[in-house]
Amino acid sequence: MLDIDAAPAAAPAPLPAEPRVLQIRFTGSGSEYFRIWAVNLLLILVTVGLYLPFAKARRIRYFYANTFVDDQALSFHGDPWKMFRGFLLLVLLMGVYSVAGHFSSTAAFVAFLILCAVWPALWRASLQFRLGNTSWRGLRMRFDGSLKDAYLASAPSYLPAIALVGGASLIGPDTNAAVAGGFTPAMALYSVGALCMTLFAPWSLTLFKRYQHNGYCIAGQHSRVKLSTAKVYLLSLKTMGMALLPMIVAGLLVALAFGLSRGLGGSQRALLGTAVLGIGIGLGYLLMFAVVLPYGAARMQNLAWNGTRSQALGFKSALKFRSLFGLTLKNWLLTALTLSLYRPFAAVATARLRLEAVTIDCHEDPADWVAAAHAGHADATGDIAGDFFGLDMGL
Amino acid sequence: MAGEPRLGADWFDGRSARARPVEVWLDGQTLHFGDQSAPLSGVGWPERQRHGQRQVLLPGDGLLSFADAAAFDDWARASGRSDSAIVRWQQSWRLALLSLVLLVAGLAAGYRWGLPWAVDTAVDALPQGVEVSLGEHLLDGLDDEWLKPSRLGAAQQQAWQARWSAVLDRARRQGGVDVPERFEIHFRDGGKALGPNAFALPGGDIVITDALLELLADEPDAVMTVLAHELGHVQHRHGLRMVLRAGAVSVVASVIVGDFSTLLAAAPAVLASNAYSRDNERQADLYGRSLARAGGVDTSRMAVFFERLAKKHASVGDHPLAIAISTHPADVERVAFFNQR
Repeated sequence: MLDIDAAPAAAPAPLPAEPRVLQIRFTGSGSEYFRIWAVNLLLILVTVGLYLPFAKARRIRYFYANTFVDDQALSFHGDPWKMFRGFLLLVLLMGVYSVAGHFSSTAAFVAFLILCAVWPALWRASLQFRLGNTSWRGLRMRFDGSLKDAYLASAPSYLPAIALVGGASLIGPDTNAAVAGGFTPAMALYSVGALCMTLFAPWSLTLFKRYQHNGYCIAGQHSRVKLSTAKVYLLSLKTMGMALLPMIVAGLLVALAFGLSRGLGGSQRALLGTAVLGIGIGLGYLLMFAVVLPYGAARMQNLAWNGTRSQALGFKSALKFRSLFGLTLKNWLLTALTLSLYRPFAAVATARLRLEAVTIDCHEDPADWVAAAHAGHADATGDIAGDFFGLDMGL
Repeated sequence: MAGEPRLGADWFDGRSARARPVEVWLDGQTLHFGDQSAPLSGVGWPERQRHGQRQVLLPGDGLLSFADAAAFDDWARASGRSDSAIVRWQQSWRLALLSLVLLVAGLAAGYRWGLPWAVDTAVDALPQGVEVSLGEHLLDGLDDEWLKPSRLGAAQQQAWQARWSAVLDRARRQGGVDVPERFEIHFRDGGKALGPNAFALPGGDIVITDALLELLADEPDAVMTVLAHELGHVQHRHGLRMVLRAGAVSVVASVIVGDFSTLLAAAPAVLASNAYSRDNERQADLYGRSLARAGGVDTSRMAVFFERLAKKHASVGDHPLAIAISTHPADVERVAFFNQR
């Protein structure tokens, strides 16, 4: 799916009094992307996976060429060979991480620590790469979030996660002792980590979004976001409330079916029970993803983009939960029924809905913009790392 | 230059966002636009598509933007630019569907021949130390979650170990069956969850549950055959193969449906493991039968084991989920296999 965060970060208009509206249009077609996807998959198979970054570059180019901001499409300048290096780095990192997990809990913990230590830097590098290789009207976008801020934004989720994983690896060898001796420090560490991770999740999400939306630049425009933590907490509570719905619906259906099966005999009843339970769990799972994820995604997109503006630009996102819910449900059903053949159609439809929900008010004429003079500054090493490895983690 | 086909474009120079209308034409390996030019080799040429804007990316940051995609495609063709093979495949329904067919055929062939080959190669290349530590790690995990120390007395455990060693000694003397270098029998209480069970981990650790030994307390030959079967898994390194296979299949599945759903991506790995494990069971049965017979064990006693197992499962049949897993249509086949002379 197209990275909604990276795509519509551009737009302008002339008169300061009456802003011009820069409309976002997405013209991609599911059937055309289906064919690109099919050929990409074949090439990935033939090259035993090495073609992946090239397939990704082709996919981004297709989505960009079809994303029009005020009638000019975005362009992608990423060099697939550089993306290939980033791809190898990520494969290596994830490979070492998952192999370490198979051998000992200490090795797994050390690997996790290393991953936590480098991940914020990689995250920033990939934002720099994606934005730096995106242009509109010939002007390159930039991402100017600092390395320090990337780590600060990550801290509230990474530190509890480290406590959680560390606690778990300490508990591992002495479970019997722990059961006998009651509450050990390791278990305390584990519980505190789990608790903080849950409690801090909305705060972390706020920090991640703030970091991203404070870093987008094009020409002389620097995006700034007003995103209140309280609102994200409120949204999280509402999302959890929405999560109860599918559970209740599925639970009611299962209870109803069991009630109706009272009259049946032993083995028939057991068989029916298994079937109903299976269907109930499947339905609950489907509804969970069709209701909860779209709700959270739609509201979060609106919250973050409606708070984002730059000197001359103001963003508006009016993504309706009802539309995204209907689309997600349809995408899921068709993708499952067609054994994933529908997936490219789903990707295009979702990108269209999410992109076209955004409009941009512009108080200047973007034709007057000129590229910012960016010589090497303090963060040049980060830029080089991002560019050298062609890191692009967003999908 | 007058003979070259020309087309209007908006030129953005990469410094200013103002569009400058220019005329574009190709002259050999050089792209001309207005009074500028660039060698074709340094230019990012757009792929032909039905939708979307055509942009030619210039060296540096500039680009040429073409409002009319169809006109661009005509002009490019008239200027002697031909589509790459990939574009031709992408733009043809027939070739795109052919790629899907080839993809499915390729995946099937990879699954049938490529994966076993890759796993065999990896298994041969991996030092045994790796396999052993993997197995120990798995056993530690099982000890935490599922297994308790055995309730069997030390004397009983020793009696089983002695009997097993005697079978192995006799089989070794008889010859004909290779016995793996490293293996170890562990006695554990698997509780209700595991029931009567025995399984082999990578690296040669074999776990046998108290419930199984209770079930077959009066049928030592059946116990020996079960252990010989598990030793077959060790001999063929099935545990490590399963881990590698499941890993490879889930990686492939995640490329195809991965960013869509982790559940959908996990399903093929589970299905593949089940399909492979049936082959593994047959292989281990074959090895187990040869080894047990060489060790002087009456393998036909396995019939009693399958019979008692079936009875035990039938008694818990009230549980709705039990129906799905308790039927063993292969039992008859396996009883016949162990009876066969």
